Amino acid sequence: MVSRPQWRPTAATSRAAVIATAGAVAAVLAGRPTLLVLVAPLVVAAALALAGRPRATPVVRTDLDHRALHEGQGTTARLVLSDADDVEQITRVASLGPFLRAQPAGGRVTGLLGAEPVDLEFSPQRWGRRVVGEEVVALTSGWSGFRWGPQTIVGDQVRVLPVGLHYASRAESPQPRGLVGAHRSARPGSGTEFAGIRTFVPGDRLRRINWRVSARTDEVHVTATRAEEDAGVLLVVDAIADHGISGGVEGVESSLDLTVRAAAAVAEQAVRQGDRVSLRVLGGSSLQVSYGSGKRHLARVLATLAAIQLGPADEDGWERLQLRATEGTMVVVLSPMMAGVVATLTATATRRGLPTLVVDTMPEAVSLERHTASSGGLRRHRAMTESSHLVDLAWRMRRLEREQVLASLSALGCTVVPWRGPGTIDEVTRTLARRARRPHLRLR
Amino acid sequence: MIRHWTRGQWALRLVVLIGPVLATLAAGPTGDPPGRFALVVVVATSLGSALAPESPAGTLAFATVLLSWGLGGSAVTPPEVVLAAGALVAAHVAALVVSYGPGDVPLDRRLTLTWLVRGAVLFLVAPVVWLLATALEGQPEPAGLWMTGVAALVVAAVVANTALGSRMTR
Repeated sequence: MVSRPQWRPTAATSRAAVIATAGAVAAVLAGRPTLLVLVAPLVVAAALALAGRPRATPVVRTDLDHRALHEGQGTTARLVLSDADDVEQITRVASLGPFLRAQPAGGRVTGLLGAEPVDLEFSPQRWGRRVVGEEVVALTSGWSGFRWGPQTIVGDQVRVLPVGLHYASRAESPQPRGLVGAHRSARPGSGTEFAGIRTFVPGDRLRRINWRVSARTDEVHVTATRAEEDAGVLLVVDAIADHGISGGVEGVESSLDLTVRAAAAVAEQAVRQGDRVSLRVLGGSSLQVSYGSGKRHLARVLATLAAIQLGPADEDGWERLQLRATEGTMVVVLSPMMAGVVATLTATATRRGLPTLVVDTMPEAVSLERHTASSGGLRRHRAMTESSHLVDLAWRMRRLEREQVLASLSALGCTVVPWRGPGTIDEVTRTLARRARRPHLRLR
Repeated sequence: MIRHWTRGQWALRLVVLIGPVLATLAAGPTGDPPGRFALVVVVATSLGSALAPESPAGTLAFATVLLSWGLGGSAVTPPEVVLAAGALVAAHVAALVVSYGPGDVPLDRRLTLTWLVRGAVLFLVAPVVWLLATALEGQPEPAGLWMTGVAALVVAAVVANTALGSRMTR
């Protein structure tokens, strides 16, 4: 933002000028050289300050080095000055919103112009959209004679992407149904995974002939392999409520932190394997990203995760909700499972025969106190009842309900696994892959 | 507010508080000790200036110091007045540096050093004027001496700014 406040004398200039004038006049009128000795330094100070009166009005703006960051990464806000020939000193005081760190600590810096860059570094500590670089700037002319500002500079919105911790997964997809990918398919094809040795049929490639077996059996045999296909992964993210307190990327994690970071990690891994990834956000902004693969698609998924906002459940709308998951798509539901509608959605996907995996993102350490600090409903309830005993009881009942929901989903055949960092779903997807190869009934 | 002050801010604000008080008390050895009322006013206004360096409290404190010295009956220019001038310069510069930002802004080393040098240069004016005043004591005053002296001081300051100003900031 550009604005043009005016230069004004500083308090120091006013003080020096008033005292110097009063002292000099009194010294002359009373004939007291003592007073002149006393104010002589201030006469010089005032004269120097006033002599450096700025002529041009500076234009100030800030430039951020980056517009998109990952949690914990930093960017520098550089002050860009125009018409600043008369400026000697700069003071910058940043406005630090939640989950925003600054360097120097507190986002306050002062310094001489031209000596060293008076830059501020910002580091968002939590995913989301954060305003970075909002600050108040004051400029001072030579000998601290005049001050320009303090002037507020509006910050820029920065997209803070969740940290998707890299991990190397070796788990195969339960039901790959794509064209070309890294997963072992159930059908034969020209992959590298050994499937068996069979007799030659017209159409087989000559380089597949297994000469050793053919010589032994007097019949031409070929080495058969399985096809390798990509798979679809549908990430369903529960943004209906946030349980616990978020301490940023280096602190404790709330349920939504776990959900978003887990989704980012799974999406990154799936894209790296060449799988198609889709995203569906439940609650708040109801965002979605259609299927796609590649780095640009991953960037789109991460940007959508960063745009997630908490929102209540729209029960009526979700009854008509379609997951649009085709056969072979693995559905990964990331949720603390405190909302009934998410459980219903998960159960429906499981009944459809889709390999469904629930990643439980309720933090282990979430206690009643932590929950009430971030949950307005329970806090209001607590204020109304003035009885912590009832609130404790309510929270315990909610936890018991949650356990029951998770047990019911497990009984339906849905795999439930608590998020324990990268690699959490590896073992589960292996199990799902083994289960997918077994014959089973499918409800439609 | 106070608990957010940095160490540097504490030190400078202490100078802002002590400077005018010291300048007032410096009149004691001359045989014209400051009045209690004047001392109380200086302490109170200096405290106000230390807490809010941009407030008029600093001007009031300095004015009270001037008044205290002006009311003295000494006909000569005592050397203690140089000490008083030094204390005022220190308080003025400290208040100036402190008012560059809020109390929790850490002081910039280079900026503080620049003002330390500037403060020393400003202080040097006081002994020069004292020497001049002492040398001229007891001599008949030529007409317009005082006005010429003040005007010369101002012109010297402007010339010094032109010559040294840009070099000291870079």
